[in-house]
Amino acid sequence: MTPAAKILDLQRIGYNYGQIKALSGVSITVEKGPVGLLGPNGAGKSTLLRLLLGFLTIQEGQGKVMGYDVAREKTRVRQIVGYMPEDESYVPGIDGVTLTALLGELSGMPRQEAMKRAHDVLFYVGLEESRYRRVESYSKGMRQRLKLAQALVHDPQLILLDEPTSGLDPQGREEILELITDISNHGVQVLVSSHILPDIEETCQEVIILNQGQVAAQGNLQELKKLNYNLYELKVAGEAAPFLAKLQERGCRWEQEEDLWKLYLPRELSPRVIFELAVEEKVQVRHLVKSQSRLEDLFAQVVGEEE
Amino acid sequence: MSIRKKGYSHWEGQLKESAFVAWFPLTRLGIKLAFQKRFFKLFFFSAFLPALIFLAGIYVSERMEDFRFMIQGQPSFLQITPNYFKAYFTNSFFLFLLVLMMIFVGSGLIADDLKFKALQLYFARPLRKVDYLLGKMATLGFFLLLLSLIPGWIFVLFKLVFAGNFAFLRSYPWLPLAVVAYSLILTLFFAIYTLTLSALSSNSRHVALMIFGIYLASDIIFGIFYQNFHHPYLVLLSLKLNLQQVGAALFGEKLFYPVPWGWSLLLLIMLMGLGLAILNRRIRSVEVVK
Repeated sequence: MTPAAKILDLQRIGYNYGQIKALSGVSITVEKGPVGLLGPNGAGKSTLLRLLLGFLTIQEGQGKVMGYDVAREKTRVRQIVGYMPEDESYVPGIDGVTLTALLGELSGMPRQEAMKRAHDVLFYVGLEESRYRRVESYSKGMRQRLKLAQALVHDPQLILLDEPTSGLDPQGREEILELITDISNHGVQVLVSSHILPDIEETCQEVIILNQGQVAAQGNLQELKKLNYNLYELKVAGEAAPFLAKLQERGCRWEQEEDLWKLYLPRELSPRVIFELAVEEKVQVRHLVKSQSRLEDLFAQVVGEEE
Repeated sequence: MSIRKKGYSHWEGQLKESAFVAWFPLTRLGIKLAFQKRFFKLFFFSAFLPALIFLAGIYVSERMEDFRFMIQGQPSFLQITPNYFKAYFTNSFFLFLLVLMMIFVGSGLIADDLKFKALQLYFARPLRKVDYLLGKMATLGFFLLLLSLIPGWIFVLFKLVFAGNFAFLRSYPWLPLAVVAYSLILTLFFAIYTLTLSALSSNSRHVALMIFGIYLASDIIFGIFYQNFHHPYLVLLSLKLNLQQVGAALFGEKLFYPVPWGWSLLLLIMLMGLGLAILNRRIRSVEVVK
Protein backbone atom coordinates (compact mmCIF):
# COMPACT_ATOMS: atom_id res chain seq x y z
CA MET A 1 0.00 0.00 0.00
CA THR A 2 1.35 3.40 -0.89
CA PRO A 3 1.88 5.73 2.09
CA ALA A 4 -1.34 7.17 3.45
CA ALA A 5 -3.33 5.54 0.64
CA LYS A 6 -7.07 5.37 0.92
CA ILE A 7 -8.80 2.04 0.63
CA LEU A 8 -10.95 3.34 -2.16
CA ASP A 9 -10.67 6.51 -4.14
CA LEU A 10 -13.15 6.44 -6.99
CA GLN A 11 -13.92 9.42 -9.18
CA ARG A 12 -17.05 9.52 -11.34
CA ILE A 13 -16.97 5.83 -12.20
CA GLY A 14 -19.41 4.78 -14.91
CA TYR A 15 -20.13 1.39 -16.44
CA ASN A 16 -22.77 0.19 -18.90
CA TYR A 17 -23.73 -3.33 -19.91
CA GLY A 18 -24.67 -2.47 -23.47
CA GLN A 19 -27.65 -0.16 -23.17
CA ILE A 20 -28.09 -0.82 -19.47
CA LYS A 21 -26.48 1.68 -17.17
CA ALA A 22 -25.03 -0.24 -14.24
CA LEU A 23 -23.03 2.54 -12.59
CA SER A 24 -23.08 6.24 -13.20
CA GLY A 25 -20.95 8.99 -11.68
CA VAL A 26 -19.93 6.89 -8.68
CA SER A 27 -17.47 8.82 -6.54
CA ILE A 28 -16.41 7.14 -3.33
CA THR A 29 -13.63 7.87 -0.91
CA VAL A 30 -12.94 5.52 1.97
CA GLU A 31 -10.02 6.16 4.30
CA LYS A 32 -10.21 2.92 6.25
CA GLY A 33 -12.43 -0.08 6.78
CA PRO A 34 -14.45 -1.92 7.62
CA VAL A 35 -16.88 -0.46 5.12
CA GLY A 36 -20.24 -1.78 4.03
CA LEU A 37 -21.53 -1.59 0.49
CA LEU A 38 -25.26 -1.70 0.68
CA GLY A 39 -27.99 -1.70 -1.91
CA PRO A 40 -30.86 -3.69 -3.34
CA ASN A 41 -30.30 -6.30 -6.05
CA GLY A 42 -29.28 -4.60 -9.27
CA ALA A 43 -27.94 -1.53 -7.48
CA GLY A 44 -24.49 -2.09 -8.96
CA LYS A 45 -22.66 -3.54 -5.95
CA SER A 46 -21.22 -6.57 -7.70
CA THR A 47 -20.36 -4.51 -10.78
CA LEU A 48 -18.44 -2.11 -8.56
CA LEU A 49 -16.48 -4.96 -6.96
CA ARG A 50 -15.70 -6.39 -10.39
CA LEU A 51 -14.45 -3.01 -11.53
CA LEU A 52 -12.25 -2.73 -8.46
CA LEU A 53 -10.66 -6.10 -9.28
CA GLY A 54 -10.29 -5.25 -12.95
CA PHE A 55 -12.67 -8.03 -14.04
CA LEU A 56 -14.51 -5.31 -15.94
CA THR A 57 -12.85 -2.31 -17.51
CA ILE A 58 -13.89 1.09 -16.24
CA GLN A 59 -15.66 2.97 -19.02
CA GLU A 60 -15.87 6.36 -17.34
CA GLY A 61 -13.93 7.98 -14.54
CA GLN A 62 -10.97 6.59 -12.65
CA GLY A 63 -10.36 4.69 -9.48
CA LYS A 64 -7.69 3.65 -7.04
CA VAL A 65 -7.67 0.76 -4.61
CA MET A 66 -5.15 1.02 -1.77
CA GLY A 67 -3.40 3.70 -3.81
CA TYR A 68 -3.08 1.62 -6.99
CA ASP A 69 -4.82 2.55 -10.21
CA VAL A 70 -7.53 0.03 -11.00
CA ALA A 71 -7.12 0.34 -14.76
CA ARG A 72 -3.32 0.47 -15.02
CA GLU A 73 -2.15 -1.54 -12.01
CA LYS A 74 -4.60 -4.45 -12.02
CA THR A 75 -1.96 -7.01 -11.17
CA ARG A 76 -0.74 -5.04 -8.18
CA VAL A 77 -4.30 -4.51 -6.96
CA ARG A 78 -5.07 -8.21 -7.22
CA GLN A 79 -1.95 -9.10 -5.31
CA ILE A 80 -2.94 -7.06 -2.28
CA VAL A 81 -6.67 -7.67 -2.42
CA GLY A 82 -8.55 -10.82 -1.43
CA TYR A 83 -11.90 -11.52 -3.04
CA MET A 84 -14.71 -13.69 -1.78
CA PRO A 85 -17.21 -14.01 -4.63
CA GLU A 86 -20.93 -14.32 -4.12
CA ASP A 87 -21.31 -17.31 -6.46
CA GLU A 88 -20.35 -20.79 -5.46
CA SER A 89 -17.00 -21.21 -7.09
CA TYR A 90 -14.36 -23.88 -6.70
CA VAL A 91 -12.13 -26.26 -8.60
CA PRO A 92 -13.58 -29.77 -8.53
CA GLY A 93 -11.46 -32.85 -7.94
CA ILE A 94 -9.18 -31.39 -5.30
CA ASP A 95 -9.41 -31.02 -1.53
CA GLY A 96 -9.85 -27.79 0.38
CA VAL A 97 -6.24 -27.40 1.38
CA THR A 98 -4.94 -28.02 -2.15
CA LEU A 99 -7.35 -25.47 -3.58
CA THR A 100 -6.46 -22.86 -1.00
CA ALA A 101 -2.73 -23.46 -1.45
CA LEU A 102 -3.09 -23.33 -5.24
CA LEU A 103 -4.75 -19.93 -5.04
CA GLY A 104 -2.07 -18.74 -2.62
CA GLU A 105 0.58 -19.83 -5.10
CA LEU A 106 -1.22 -18.03 -7.91
CA SER A 107 -1.05 -14.90 -5.75
CA GLY A 108 2.73 -15.24 -5.70
CA MET A 109 3.39 -17.25 -2.54
CA PRO A 110 6.16 -19.86 -2.60
CA ARG A 111 4.67 -23.35 -2.87
CA GLN A 112 5.55 -24.62 0.59
CA GLU A 113 4.59 -21.36 2.23
CA ALA A 114 1.26 -21.43 0.40
CA MET A 115 0.54 -24.92 1.67
CA LYS A 116 1.47 -24.01 5.24
CA ARG A 117 -0.62 -20.87 5.11
CA ALA A 118 -3.55 -22.78 3.56
CA HIS A 119 -3.61 -25.04 6.62
CA ASP A 120 -3.56 -21.99 8.87
CA VAL A 121 -6.42 -20.15 7.20
CA LEU A 122 -8.55 -23.28 6.91
CA PHE A 123 -8.02 -23.85 10.60
CA TYR A 124 -8.92 -20.22 11.21
CA VAL A 125 -12.23 -20.40 9.32
CA GLY A 126 -13.15 -23.65 11.06
CA LEU A 127 -12.47 -26.14 8.26
CA GLU A 128 -9.59 -27.95 9.96
CA GLU A 129 -11.53 -31.23 10.03
CA SER A 130 -12.51 -31.01 6.37
CA ARG A 131 -9.24 -29.83 4.87
CA TYR A 132 -8.59 -33.10 3.07
CA ARG A 133 -12.10 -33.61 1.76
CA ARG A 134 -12.86 -32.85 -1.85
CA VAL A 135 -14.51 -29.46 -2.15
CA GLU A 136 -17.49 -30.78 -4.11
CA SER A 137 -18.49 -32.74 -1.00
CA TYR A 138 -18.60 -29.56 1.13
CA SER A 139 -21.89 -28.18 2.39
CA LYS A 140 -23.01 -24.67 1.46
CA GLY A 141 -21.72 -23.28 4.74
CA MET A 142 -18.37 -25.01 4.35
CA ARG A 143 -17.96 -23.67 0.84
CA GLN A 144 -18.70 -20.19 2.15
CA ARG A 145 -15.90 -20.60 4.68
CA LEU A 146 -13.61 -22.01 2.03
CA LYS A 147 -14.24 -18.91 -0.09
CA LEU A 148 -13.28 -16.77 2.87
CA ALA A 149 -10.15 -18.86 3.46
CA GLN A 150 -8.98 -18.55 -0.14
CA ALA A 151 -9.53 -14.79 0.04
CA LEU A 152 -7.24 -14.65 3.09
CA VAL A 153 -4.54 -17.11 2.09
CA HIS A 154 -2.09 -14.53 0.72
CA ASP A 155 -2.71 -12.22 3.68
CA PRO A 156 -4.24 -9.38 1.67
CA GLN A 157 -4.33 -5.78 2.82
CA LEU A 158 -7.95 -5.48 1.76
CA ILE A 159 -10.65 -8.13 1.34
CA LEU A 160 -13.74 -7.67 -0.75
CA LEU A 161 -16.58 -9.83 0.50
CA ASP A 162 -19.56 -10.20 -1.80
CA GLU A 163 -22.63 -11.31 0.16
CA PRO A 164 -20.52 -13.28 2.67
CA THR A 165 -23.45 -14.72 4.61
CA SER A 166 -25.69 -15.58 1.71
CA GLY A 167 -27.38 -18.94 2.17
CA LEU A 168 -26.09 -19.54 5.69
CA ASP A 169 -28.09 -20.64 8.68
CA PRO A 170 -28.21 -18.21 11.63
CA GLN A 171 -25.32 -19.87 13.46
CA GLY A 172 -23.17 -20.00 10.34
CA ARG A 173 -23.98 -16.38 9.66
CA GLU A 174 -22.96 -15.35 13.16
CA GLU A 175 -19.71 -17.23 12.82
CA ILE A 176 -18.81 -15.64 9.51
CA LEU A 177 -19.63 -12.16 10.84
CA GLU A 178 -17.51 -12.90 13.89
CA LEU A 179 -14.62 -13.85 11.61
CA ILE A 180 -15.04 -10.70 9.53
CA THR A 181 -14.91 -8.57 12.67
CA ASP A 182 -11.83 -10.43 13.87
CA ILE A 183 -10.08 -10.03 10.52
CA SER A 184 -10.85 -6.33 10.57
CA ASN A 185 -9.56 -6.04 14.14
CA HIS A 186 -6.27 -7.56 12.98
CA GLY A 187 -5.56 -4.75 10.56
CA VAL A 188 -7.00 -6.15 7.33
CA GLN A 189 -9.21 -3.61 5.59
CA VAL A 190 -12.61 -5.08 4.88
CA LEU A 191 -15.28 -4.15 2.35
CA VAL A 192 -18.53 -6.07 2.80
CA SER A 193 -21.07 -5.94 0.01
CA SER A 194 -24.46 -7.10 1.15
CA HIS A 195 -28.17 -6.55 0.93
CA ILE A 196 -28.59 -8.04 4.39
CA LEU A 197 -28.66 -4.93 6.50
CA PRO A 198 -27.87 -6.41 9.91
CA ASP A 199 -24.66 -7.90 8.44
CA ILE A 200 -23.44 -4.39 7.69
CA GLU A 201 -24.59 -3.07 11.04
CA GLU A 202 -22.69 -5.82 12.83
CA THR A 203 -19.42 -5.49 10.96
CA CYS A 204 -18.96 -1.98 9.60
CA GLN A 205 -18.57 1.58 10.79
CA GLU A 206 -18.57 3.13 7.33
CA VAL A 207 -21.31 2.51 4.79
CA ILE A 208 -21.89 3.28 1.14
CA ILE A 209 -25.42 2.92 -0.11
CA LEU A 210 -25.82 2.28 -3.82
CA ASN A 211 -29.10 2.59 -5.61
CA GLN A 212 -29.74 2.32 -9.34
CA GLY A 213 -26.05 2.59 -10.07
CA GLN A 214 -25.48 5.74 -8.06
CA VAL A 215 -24.23 6.51 -4.59
CA ALA A 216 -27.34 7.29 -2.56
CA ALA A 217 -25.46 7.93 0.69
CA GLN A 218 -22.00 7.47 2.09
CA GLY A 219 -20.35 8.05 5.41
CA ASN A 220 -19.98 6.97 8.97
CA LEU A 221 -22.86 4.78 9.97
CA GLN A 222 -23.56 6.60 13.21
CA GLU A 223 -23.34 9.99 11.47
CA LEU A 224 -25.58 8.88 8.64
CA LYS A 225 -28.19 7.76 11.09
CA LYS A 226 -28.34 11.27 12.42
CA LEU A 227 -28.61 12.94 9.04
CA ASN A 228 -31.56 14.52 7.33
CA TYR A 229 -34.44 12.83 9.04
CA ASN A 230 -35.75 12.13 12.47
CA LEU A 231 -37.58 8.89 12.74
CA TYR A 232 -40.85 8.68 14.70
CA GLU A 233 -43.21 5.85 15.36
CA LEU A 234 -46.79 6.95 15.07
CA LYS A 235 -50.23 5.45 15.69
CA VAL A 236 -53.36 7.33 14.79
CA ALA A 237 -57.09 6.78 15.04
CA GLY A 238 -59.34 8.05 12.27
CA GLU A 239 -58.89 8.63 8.52
CA ALA A 240 -55.12 8.48 8.15
CA ALA A 241 -54.78 8.94 4.39
CA PRO A 242 -55.46 12.72 4.13
CA PHE A 243 -53.36 13.29 7.25
CA LEU A 244 -50.42 11.40 5.76
CA ALA A 245 -50.85 13.21 2.44
CA LYS A 246 -50.54 16.50 4.26
CA LEU A 247 -47.40 15.26 6.02
CA GLN A 248 -45.98 14.26 2.68
CA GLU A 249 -46.59 17.77 1.36
CA ARG A 250 -44.39 19.01 4.20
CA GLY A 251 -41.53 16.72 3.09
CA CYS A 252 -42.21 13.78 5.36
CA ARG A 253 -41.92 10.20 4.23
CA TRP A 254 -43.71 7.31 5.84
CA GLU A 255 -44.04 3.57 5.83
CA GLN A 256 -46.63 1.34 7.41
CA GLU A 257 -45.64 -1.54 9.66
CA GLU A 258 -48.82 -3.31 10.77
CA ASP A 259 -50.77 -0.70 12.75
CA LEU A 260 -47.72 1.50 13.17
CA TRP A 261 -46.53 4.31 10.90
CA LYS A 262 -42.82 5.01 10.62
CA LEU A 263 -42.50 8.66 9.92
CA TYR A 264 -39.34 10.29 8.54
CA LEU A 265 -39.56 13.91 9.55
CA PRO A 266 -37.10 16.38 7.95
CA ARG A 267 -34.72 17.64 10.61
CA GLU A 268 -35.83 21.24 10.14
CA LEU A 269 -39.44 20.28 10.79
CA SER A 270 -40.64 20.29 14.38
CA PRO A 271 -42.66 17.28 15.56
CA ARG A 272 -45.25 19.81 16.62
CA VAL A 273 -46.41 19.90 13.01
CA ILE A 274 -47.66 16.33 13.41
CA PHE A 275 -50.13 17.45 16.07
CA GLU A 276 -51.11 20.54 14.08
CA LEU A 277 -51.91 18.48 10.98
CA ALA A 278 -53.68 15.86 13.08
CA VAL A 279 -55.97 18.52 14.48
CA GLU A 280 -56.51 19.91 10.99
CA GLU A 281 -57.41 16.48 9.56
CA LYS A 282 -59.37 15.40 12.64
CA VAL A 283 -57.28 12.35 13.49
CA GLN A 284 -56.24 11.31 16.91
CA VAL A 285 -52.57 10.77 17.69
CA ARG A 286 -52.52 7.71 19.93
CA HIS A 287 -48.78 7.06 19.98
CA LEU A 288 -45.74 9.15 19.00
CA VAL A 289 -42.24 8.04 19.93
CA LYS A 290 -38.93 9.24 18.57
CA SER A 291 -37.10 6.17 17.31
CA GLN A 292 -33.41 5.40 16.96
CA SER A 293 -32.75 5.05 13.25
CA ARG A 294 -31.54 1.56 12.34
CA LEU A 295 -29.86 0.74 9.10
CA GLU A 296 -33.06 -0.67 7.67
CA ASP A 297 -34.66 2.71 8.22
CA LEU A 298 -31.75 4.50 6.67
CA PHE A 299 -31.83 2.06 3.81
CA ALA A 300 -35.54 2.56 3.28
CA GLN A 301 -35.17 6.31 3.58
CA VAL A 302 -32.48 6.51 0.92
CA VAL A 303 -33.49 3.78 -1.41
CA GLY A 304 -37.22 4.23 -1.15
CA GLU A 305 -38.32 0.70 -0.53
CA GLU A 306 -37.16 -2.03 1.72
CA GLU A 307 -36.11 -5.33 0.20
CA MET B 1 -19.52 -20.78 20.51
CA SER B 2 -16.63 -19.25 18.68
CA ILE B 3 -15.31 -21.17 15.68
CA ARG B 4 -12.01 -19.39 16.04
CA LYS B 5 -9.59 -21.60 17.88
CA LYS B 6 -7.02 -18.87 17.37
CA GLY B 7 -7.23 -15.32 16.03
CA TYR B 8 -6.31 -14.14 12.56
CA SER B 9 -2.59 -14.17 11.96
CA HIS B 10 -0.60 -12.40 9.29
CA TRP B 11 1.78 -14.06 6.88
CA GLU B 12 5.29 -12.74 7.17
CA GLY B 13 6.58 -13.71 3.71
CA GLN B 14 7.01 -11.75 0.53
CA LEU B 15 4.86 -12.36 -2.56
CA LYS B 16 6.78 -13.19 -5.73
CA GLU B 17 6.10 -11.42 -9.01
CA SER B 18 7.76 -13.83 -11.43
CA ALA B 19 5.85 -14.60 -14.63
CA PHE B 20 6.83 -18.27 -14.36
CA VAL B 21 5.07 -18.60 -11.04
CA ALA B 22 1.93 -17.16 -12.54
CA TRP B 23 0.93 -20.10 -14.71
CA PHE B 24 2.93 -23.10 -13.53
CA PRO B 25 0.63 -24.07 -10.62
CA LEU B 26 -2.24 -24.41 -13.11
CA THR B 27 -0.16 -26.78 -15.22
CA ARG B 28 0.77 -28.88 -12.22
CA LEU B 29 -2.87 -29.04 -11.16
CA GLY B 30 -3.98 -30.07 -14.67
CA ILE B 31 -1.46 -32.92 -14.76
CA LYS B 32 -2.45 -34.04 -11.27
CA LEU B 33 -6.15 -34.02 -12.12
CA ALA B 34 -5.52 -36.01 -15.31
CA PHE B 35 -3.89 -38.84 -13.36
CA GLN B 36 -6.88 -38.92 -10.98
CA LYS B 37 -9.20 -39.88 -13.83
CA ARG B 38 -10.40 -43.41 -14.11
CA PHE B 39 -8.44 -45.58 -16.58
CA PHE B 40 -6.12 -42.69 -17.41
CA LYS B 41 -2.99 -44.36 -16.03
CA LEU B 42 -3.70 -47.47 -18.09
CA PHE B 43 -4.27 -45.38 -21.20
CA PHE B 44 -1.22 -43.21 -20.50
CA PHE B 45 1.18 -46.12 -20.37
CA SER B 46 -0.51 -47.88 -23.30
CA ALA B 47 -0.02 -44.75 -25.39
CA PHE B 48 3.72 -45.38 -25.36
CA LEU B 49 3.33 -48.77 -27.07
CA PRO B 50 3.76 -47.41 -30.62
CA ALA B 51 6.91 -45.60 -29.52
CA LEU B 52 8.25 -48.82 -27.96
CA ILE B 53 7.50 -50.76 -31.12
CA PHE B 54 9.31 -48.17 -33.27
CA LEU B 55 12.19 -48.16 -30.81
CA ALA B 56 12.41 -51.93 -31.10
CA GLY B 57 12.44 -51.44 -34.87
CA ILE B 58 15.50 -49.22 -34.57
CA TYR B 59 17.23 -51.87 -32.49
CA VAL B 60 16.34 -54.59 -34.97
CA SER B 61 17.57 -52.44 -37.88
CA GLU B 62 21.03 -52.38 -36.30
CA ARG B 63 20.96 -56.12 -35.62
CA MET B 64 19.65 -57.10 -39.04
CA GLU B 65 21.72 -60.27 -39.18
CA ASP B 66 20.19 -61.54 -35.92
CA PHE B 67 16.64 -60.82 -37.02
CA ARG B 68 16.83 -61.68 -40.72
CA PHE B 69 14.45 -64.62 -40.22
CA MET B 70 11.73 -62.19 -39.11
CA ILE B 71 11.88 -59.76 -42.00
CA GLN B 72 12.29 -62.01 -44.98
CA GLY B 73 11.12 -60.32 -48.14
CA GLN B 74 10.83 -56.89 -46.52
CA PRO B 75 14.35 -55.58 -46.30
CA SER B 76 13.24 -51.96 -46.75
CA PHE B 77 10.89 -52.16 -43.79
CA LEU B 78 13.52 -51.45 -41.22
CA GLN B 79 15.66 -48.91 -42.96
CA ILE B 80 15.97 -46.05 -40.54
CA THR B 81 15.50 -43.00 -42.72
CA PRO B 82 13.33 -39.91 -42.28
CA ASN B 83 10.56 -42.05 -43.72
CA TYR B 84 10.70 -44.16 -40.56
CA PHE B 85 10.08 -41.02 -38.50
CA LYS B 86 7.31 -39.97 -40.86
CA ALA B 87 5.76 -43.40 -40.36
CA TYR B 88 5.72 -42.89 -36.59
CA PHE B 89 4.61 -39.28 -36.48
CA THR B 90 1.98 -39.25 -39.23
CA ASN B 91 0.34 -42.63 -38.85
CA SER B 92 -3.37 -42.42 -38.23
CA PHE B 93 -3.22 -44.51 -35.08
CA PHE B 94 -0.65 -42.21 -33.46
CA LEU B 95 -2.73 -39.12 -34.27
CA PHE B 96 -5.80 -40.88 -32.93
CA LEU B 97 -3.92 -41.60 -29.68
CA LEU B 98 -3.21 -37.88 -29.38
CA VAL B 99 -6.92 -37.16 -29.83
CA LEU B 100 -7.78 -39.68 -27.10
CA MET B 101 -5.17 -38.07 -24.86
CA MET B 102 -6.81 -34.70 -25.43
CA ILE B 103 -10.19 -36.16 -24.52
CA PHE B 104 -8.84 -37.53 -21.25
CA VAL B 105 -6.76 -34.54 -20.25
CA GLY B 106 -8.29 -31.57 -21.97
CA SER B 107 -12.05 -31.88 -22.19
CA GLY B 108 -12.62 -30.49 -18.71
CA LEU B 109 -9.69 -28.10 -18.55
CA ILE B 110 -11.71 -24.97 -19.21
CA ALA B 111 -15.22 -26.47 -19.24
CA ASP B 112 -14.97 -27.36 -15.54
CA ASP B 113 -13.70 -23.89 -14.68
CA LEU B 114 -16.73 -22.45 -16.47
CA LYS B 115 -19.12 -24.90 -14.81
CA PHE B 116 -17.82 -24.33 -11.30
CA LYS B 117 -17.12 -20.61 -11.81
CA ALA B 118 -13.45 -21.02 -10.93
CA LEU B 119 -12.35 -18.32 -13.35
CA GLN B 120 -13.22 -15.56 -10.92
CA LEU B 121 -11.09 -17.25 -8.26
CA TYR B 122 -8.15 -17.39 -10.65
CA PHE B 123 -8.53 -13.89 -12.04
CA ALA B 124 -8.87 -12.35 -8.60
CA ARG B 125 -5.15 -13.20 -8.41
CA PRO B 126 -2.39 -11.45 -10.32
CA LEU B 127 -3.02 -13.82 -13.20
CA ARG B 128 -3.49 -12.56 -16.76
CA LYS B 129 -5.62 -14.27 -19.36
CA VAL B 130 -2.46 -15.25 -21.20
CA ASP B 131 -1.06 -16.84 -18.01
CA TYR B 132 -4.24 -18.83 -17.57
CA LEU B 133 -4.12 -20.08 -21.16
CA LEU B 134 -0.41 -20.84 -20.92
CA GLY B 135 -1.04 -22.85 -17.78
CA LYS B 136 -3.76 -24.89 -19.46
CA MET B 137 -1.84 -25.23 -22.70
CA ALA B 138 1.25 -26.41 -20.86
CA THR B 139 -0.81 -29.19 -19.27
CA LEU B 140 -1.75 -30.47 -22.71
CA GLY B 141 1.73 -29.75 -24.01
CA PHE B 142 3.23 -31.95 -21.30
CA PHE B 143 1.32 -35.00 -22.50
CA LEU B 144 1.58 -34.24 -26.21
CA LEU B 145 5.32 -33.68 -26.12
CA LEU B 146 5.77 -36.83 -24.05
CA LEU B 147 4.24 -38.77 -26.92
CA SER B 148 5.87 -36.88 -29.78
CA LEU B 149 9.04 -34.93 -29.05
CA ILE B 150 10.48 -37.25 -26.43
CA PRO B 151 10.08 -40.49 -28.44
CA GLY B 152 11.36 -38.66 -31.56
CA TRP B 153 14.55 -37.64 -29.80
CA ILE B 154 14.89 -41.05 -28.17
CA PHE B 155 14.68 -42.63 -31.65
CA VAL B 156 17.53 -40.43 -32.86
CA LEU B 157 19.56 -41.02 -29.73
CA PHE B 158 19.09 -44.79 -29.76
CA LYS B 159 19.84 -44.97 -33.46
CA LEU B 160 23.20 -43.32 -32.70
CA VAL B 161 23.82 -45.52 -29.69
CA PHE B 162 22.93 -48.76 -31.49
CA ALA B 163 24.92 -47.78 -34.57
CA GLY B 164 27.89 -46.65 -32.50
CA ASN B 165 28.63 -43.79 -34.89
CA PHE B 166 27.24 -40.48 -36.14
CA ALA B 167 26.66 -41.55 -39.74
CA PHE B 168 22.90 -41.22 -39.32
CA LEU B 169 23.17 -37.61 -38.12
CA ARG B 170 25.68 -36.78 -40.84
CA SER B 171 23.20 -38.06 -43.44
CA TYR B 172 20.19 -36.25 -41.94
CA PRO B 173 21.47 -33.40 -39.79
CA TRP B 174 18.14 -31.62 -40.01
CA LEU B 175 16.11 -34.55 -38.69
CA PRO B 176 16.18 -33.61 -34.96
CA LEU B 177 14.93 -30.16 -35.92
CA ALA B 178 12.16 -31.70 -38.02
CA VAL B 179 11.16 -33.77 -34.98
CA VAL B 180 11.05 -30.62 -32.85
CA ALA B 181 9.14 -28.62 -35.47
CA TYR B 182 6.52 -31.28 -36.13
CA SER B 183 6.11 -32.07 -32.43
CA LEU B 184 5.53 -28.38 -31.75
CA ILE B 185 3.02 -28.09 -34.59
CA LEU B 186 1.13 -31.16 -33.30
CA THR B 187 1.25 -29.83 -29.74
CA LEU B 188 0.15 -26.32 -30.59
CA PHE B 189 -2.61 -27.50 -32.89
CA PHE B 190 -4.07 -30.12 -30.56
CA ALA B 191 -3.71 -27.89 -27.49
CA ILE B 192 -5.50 -24.94 -29.09
CA TYR B 193 -8.10 -27.24 -30.70
CA THR B 194 -8.86 -28.88 -27.36
CA LEU B 195 -8.89 -25.69 -25.29
CA THR B 196 -11.13 -23.93 -27.81
CA LEU B 197 -13.70 -26.70 -27.66
CA SER B 198 -13.35 -26.88 -23.88
CA ALA B 199 -14.14 -23.18 -23.68
CA LEU B 200 -17.28 -23.57 -25.78
CA SER B 201 -19.21 -25.63 -23.25
CA SER B 202 -19.37 -26.01 -19.52
CA ASN B 203 -20.08 -29.73 -19.90
CA SER B 204 -16.87 -31.73 -20.25
CA ARG B 205 -18.71 -34.71 -21.78
CA HIS B 206 -20.02 -32.52 -24.57
CA VAL B 207 -16.50 -31.23 -25.07
CA ALA B 208 -15.15 -34.78 -25.28
CA LEU B 209 -17.73 -35.57 -27.95
CA MET B 210 -16.78 -32.44 -29.86
CA ILE B 211 -13.03 -33.20 -29.72
CA PHE B 212 -13.64 -36.68 -31.07
CA GLY B 213 -16.55 -35.82 -33.37
CA ILE B 214 -15.01 -32.89 -35.21
CA TYR B 215 -11.72 -34.71 -35.78
CA LEU B 216 -13.50 -37.79 -37.08
CA ALA B 217 -16.20 -35.91 -39.00
CA SER B 218 -13.64 -33.84 -40.90
CA ASP B 219 -12.05 -37.06 -42.12
CA ILE B 220 -15.37 -38.68 -43.00
CA ILE B 221 -16.48 -35.58 -44.93
CA PHE B 222 -13.20 -35.65 -46.84
CA GLY B 223 -13.76 -39.34 -47.63
CA ILE B 224 -17.27 -38.76 -48.96
CA PHE B 225 -16.28 -35.83 -51.17
CA TYR B 226 -13.08 -37.45 -52.36
CA GLN B 227 -14.90 -40.58 -53.45
CA ASN B 228 -17.23 -38.48 -55.58
CA PHE B 229 -14.92 -35.76 -56.93
CA HIS B 230 -11.37 -37.19 -56.63
CA HIS B 231 -10.03 -33.68 -56.24
CA PRO B 232 -6.79 -33.67 -54.17
CA TYR B 233 -7.48 -30.25 -52.67
CA LEU B 234 -10.33 -31.84 -50.74
CA VAL B 235 -7.56 -32.96 -48.40
CA LEU B 236 -7.92 -29.53 -46.81
CA LEU B 237 -11.24 -30.69 -45.34
CA SER B 238 -9.60 -33.26 -43.08
CA LEU B 239 -7.77 -32.26 -39.91
CA LYS B 240 -5.88 -35.53 -39.87
CA LEU B 241 -4.75 -35.28 -43.49
CA ASN B 242 -3.61 -31.69 -43.09
CA LEU B 243 -1.44 -32.76 -40.16
CA GLN B 244 -0.12 -35.68 -42.18
CA GLN B 245 0.68 -33.49 -45.17
CA VAL B 246 2.69 -31.08 -43.01
CA GLY B 247 4.42 -33.99 -41.28
CA ALA B 248 5.42 -35.62 -44.56
CA ALA B 249 6.82 -32.30 -45.81
CA LEU B 250 8.83 -31.62 -42.64
CA PHE B 251 10.41 -35.08 -42.77
CA GLY B 252 11.25 -34.46 -46.43
CA GLU B 253 9.11 -37.35 -47.65
CA LYS B 254 6.53 -37.78 -50.37
CA LEU B 255 3.26 -36.02 -49.60
CA PHE B 256 0.14 -38.11 -49.10
CA TYR B 257 -1.75 -36.06 -51.71
CA PRO B 258 -0.39 -33.87 -54.50
CA VAL B 259 -1.31 -30.60 -52.83
CA PRO B 260 1.31 -28.05 -51.72
CA TRP B 261 1.83 -28.67 -48.01
CA GLY B 262 1.89 -24.90 -47.42
CA TRP B 263 -1.88 -24.89 -47.88
CA SER B 264 -2.30 -27.41 -45.10
CA LEU B 265 0.05 -25.48 -42.83
CA LEU B 266 -1.76 -22.23 -43.63
CA LEU B 267 -5.11 -23.86 -42.86
CA LEU B 268 -3.82 -25.22 -39.53
CA ILE B 269 -2.43 -21.79 -38.63
CA MET B 270 -5.77 -20.18 -39.52
CA LEU B 271 -7.64 -22.70 -37.38
CA MET B 272 -5.28 -22.01 -34.48
CA GLY B 273 -5.80 -18.26 -34.94
CA LEU B 274 -9.55 -18.76 -34.90
CA GLY B 275 -9.22 -20.89 -31.79
CA LEU B 276 -7.19 -18.25 -29.99
CA ALA B 277 -9.75 -15.59 -30.95
CA ILE B 278 -12.55 -17.74 -29.52
CA LEU B 279 -10.54 -18.39 -26.36
CA ASN B 280 -9.87 -14.69 -25.95
CA ARG B 281 -13.60 -14.04 -26.15
CA ARG B 282 -14.71 -16.92 -23.96
CA ILE B 283 -12.22 -16.61 -21.13
CA ARG B 284 -13.60 -13.95 -18.87
CA SER B 285 -13.27 -13.48 -15.18
CA VAL B 286 -17.01 -12.93 -14.94
CA GLU B 287 -19.97 -13.83 -17.08
CA VAL B 288 -21.38 -10.61 -18.46
CA VAL B 289 -25.04 -10.96 -19.35
CA LYS B 290 -26.06 -8.16 -21.68
